[in-house]
Amino acid sequence: MNQTGLHGTALRLHKTLARIWAPDPGWRGWLTTSNNNDIGRLFLCVATAFFVIGGLLAMLIRAQLATPGSAFMGPEAYNQVFTMHGTVMMFLFAIPFFEAMSMLLLPGMLGTRDLAFPRLGAYGLWVYIFGGTAVIIAMLMGLAPDGGWFMYPPLTSAAFSPGLGADVWLLGITSIEVSAIATAVEVVVTVLRYRAAGMSLSRMPIFAWYILVVSVMILTAFPPMILGSLLLEVERALDWPFFQVENGGDPLLWQHLFWLFGHPEVYIIFLPAAGMIATILPVMARTTLLGYGWVVAAAISLAVLSFGLWVHHMFTTGIPHLGLAFFSAASTLVAVPTSVMIFSWIGTLWKGRVRMELPMLWLIGFFATFVIGGLTGVMLAIVPFNWQVHDTHFVVAHLHYVLIGGYVFPMIAAVYFFQPLLTGRSSFFRLGGVAFWLVVPAFHVTFLAVHVAGLLGQRRRTWTYNEGQGWEVLNLVASVASFVMAIGFALVILDIAINTFAGLRGRRNQWNATTLEWAAANPSPNYGFASIPVVRGRYPLLKDPDLALRIAKGEGYLADTSRNRRETLIVATTTGEPSQVVVLPGNSILPFLLAVVTSTSFLAPLFKAYWLSGLALVGVIILALIWVWRLAPARTEGLVDAGHGSQLPIASETADPPGWWGSLFLLLADGVHFGSLLFGYAFLWTVAPNWPPPTYLSPELWPVVLAVGGAVALALAPRLMLRGIERGRVWPMLLMGAIGTLALGAAAASVMLARPDPASHAFDATLWLLAGHVAFHAALTLIMLGYLGLRRIAGHSLRVGEARIVGLWADFTAATSLLALGAAWLPGAFG
Amino acid sequence: MSNILRLSLPFTVWIIGFCAVYALQGIACSRHWPPGLDPRTALIAAAALFTAIQGLVLWRIIAAPSRTSFVQATATILGAAALGAALWTSLPVLSLTVCS
Ligand code: HEM
Ligand SMILES: [Cu+2]
Repeated sequence: MNQTGLHGTALRLHKTLARIWAPDPGWRGWLTTSNNNDIGRLFLCVATAFFVIGGLLAMLIRAQLATPGSAFMGPEAYNQVFTMHGTVMMFLFAIPFFEAMSMLLLPGMLGTRDLAFPRLGAYGLWVYIFGGTAVIIAMLMGLAPDGGWFMYPPLTSAAFSPGLGADVWLLGITSIEVSAIATAVEVVVTVLRYRAAGMSLSRMPIFAWYILVVSVMILTAFPPMILGSLLLEVERALDWPFFQVENGGDPLLWQHLFWLFGHPEVYIIFLPAAGMIATILPVMARTTLLGYGWVVAAAISLAVLSFGLWVHHMFTTGIPHLGLAFFSAASTLVAVPTSVMIFSWIGTLWKGRVRMELPMLWLIGFFATFVIGGLTGVMLAIVPFNWQVHDTHFVVAHLHYVLIGGYVFPMIAAVYFFQPLLTGRSSFFRLGGVAFWLVVPAFHVTFLAVHVAGLLGQRRRTWTYNEGQGWEVLNLVASVASFVMAIGFALVILDIAINTFAGLRGRRNQWNATTLEWAAANPSPNYGFASIPVVRGRYPLLKDPDLALRIAKGEGYLADTSRNRRETLIVATTTGEPSQVVVLPGNSILPFLLAVVTSTSFLAPLFKAYWLSGLALVGVIILALIWVWRLAPARTEGLVDAGHGSQLPIASETADPPGWWGSLFLLLADGVHFGSLLFGYAFLWTVAPNWPPPTYLSPELWPVVLAVGGAVALALAPRLMLRGIERGRVWPMLLMGAIGTLALGAAAASVMLARPDPASHAFDATLWLLAGHVAFHAALTLIMLGYLGLRRIAGHSLRVGEARIVGLWADFTAATSLLALGAAWLPGAFG
Repeated sequence: MSNILRLSLPFTVWIIGFCAVYALQGIACSRHWPPGLDPRTALIAAAALFTAIQGLVLWRIIAAPSRTSFVQATATILGAAALGAALWTSLPVLSLTVCS
């Protein structure tokens, strides 16, 4: 083929794919799109908007603290402002921002065309936008929460925070956590299954490893927090006394649940930034990352270690010495994997030749800042020191060194680094450099002063201070410098906005990076790659500069567009062997609608409109059923031609479709949620002062028989169904499963009927939650079985994959129901 | 062992052991459980048990290597690191009083 013919093929392919992957025309396109490019961009812009809001709140704080005895804000306003600042920054900016970056970048890095569940991504985006907006609107109406970003009861219980503020926090933030979980499931399945042909685990770009680890962390850290919020909200709304000591509750339970989430949260924020650093640094140093395997091991171990530290936020709560020593030991342990990462970065710089471009500059800003933040962190892990500075501005300074130095700076580096890929344009003027030199020095001045003020005893979360304690100059300096820093951040945003709209058109891969995302066109089109690349090493572009051209010409997999639909490749997790072809869904308004009803069901309780909440929940179920129904393909295709002479099955016709993997990880989160509930129960039982309750619940014969029988039937039904599918015999098994769920529901109801007043004691309230878990999951499984029945009635033959997905949920329901009911009856059974 | 399990098991065992020993401390001190055993002995036994399991995991990783060399190398690092972590976080149990 001659040169023009060559480009002709590429151009034709591009045109067809662009049509297949196009969003709906006009503004409607934004509501119905599910492509990772569109969703990621929206996500990124919204998260940046929240950063600006959080920053403005920070300026209000610093304005108030600039002078002693300031009358700028009263204590009520100040409490709301710092609570909202912390909440907005942590929940509405930091987490969504890296999720947005991974949505935008992962498919390119992994060599696939989109994320695993595009519509789930769209759903997550809209839930986030609605929840976040609701929280901000509440703040503007003066209804902001004011109990600090960790919302400790009893301060936040109905008795001491009677207004709506705390409810806004609990419900709004929980809806955003639901969105984060949706995104995490999407990311995990993408990284494990959606990759270029031949991309084995050891060839994955390092960022994919980091984000995989972080997503699993989200799935295990958010559920305790969601449980905590649920407990506090039902305590506030219905007076179920989980945190009220008189009735068998314990406010310390909140602290445990919160920090079980809260400490991992710190690493959930830091690890994506570390992943970005490990991605950008080698390119800036014109080399490859040193010690890839060690870094992967460090990321995995850091992730798990971070779950063993939560009590170090509770060193002043009267925990026995051994407990203190325990968590102090674990806290010092995290220095090991962190050092491995830092040495890998330093070694990478060492072996390469650094070029001083803007992304590199911000990485240097990161190094300078993060090291100090890490040191003050180790200081805080030492118990006696911690006692001294607990709740002072020293802690505030430490956490900003880590959050701004360890997260914001690397993320700015990442935005500059990936800007050519995301917008197709590169820098326009040198505004970025000026901004850098405003932000970093001003940052250090601000927070060094805050460190010192803290050591001198200035308390955090306190709206003002008196003259004559030697804090005046420090606070004034901190405030003035923080305004300079804010101007610097504003310039960064301005610079990037200007570059996006008016920057120079860049050439492909302007940094000479070696990972796949840079082989896509510039800016990357919605379909990502014209054909799915074949990779033979960790750095595909390193020795193969023509790869991009060959991909564009359709020499990879799935270049055949004749099936006229969105397709990408699924590979074997370890080896990266192509194993399935997956058909991705097109544009749809469903995710948006589902997000509307989900948010309604979350926010309606704010106005005590429980009926609306229930109604919306029914809407959620109906829309979800329509969603799944429409995704299920109508006919069986068998093997299809995937290119390179390979015939692969369609994913939905296999035994492990993406939905099975998605369910597996969603159930991981669900399981942790359930485990946290058992933990809470055990905690109250061992620690709460007003235990045991007046009476325990004694098991009766019938409920026990129903529970055991129901669980067995439910666990057996899908297994038998898998055998029956080939012969088309599924009705008896569907019926058996349904009866199982009903039996479990009845057993759960018996618990509630036996203890009709959950507000009387924390034990009774816990029983209701345990029974509620059983009833909820039994209902969910019943709906799934009903769905299979409806499919059958509509004349579709059931697929093995579908049956296995329902089987997973059924197993989970059966197992956790037995545990839940067993835990409810256990103390009564032994007197 | 599957490759994903090989990479995730070592530290999962660590965190379970860590939480279990901490929980046992709570129960042993406030509810005198397990009955008839002094809390310190119970804790040392538990810590020793989990450290032993941790050693077992490492041994399984080494004794039955994965066919993927990258996974094998990374899993070995993780297994050894988790064993080290288990030893380190068991130290307080040996050196401190239990319930005060
Ligand atoms: C833009 C520069 C920033 C400034 C000048 C600033 C300033 C402050 C100050 C003075 C406080 C303490 C209020 C008090 O305790 O009385 C505070 C609290 C806090 N900040 Fe920032 N901050 C900034 C950015 C950020 C960022 C980027 C994050 C997170 C990613 C963040 C997270 C927090 C958190 C979690 C708290 C604790 C809130 C609480 O006590 O409930 N801040 N900030
Ligand atoms: Cu922590």
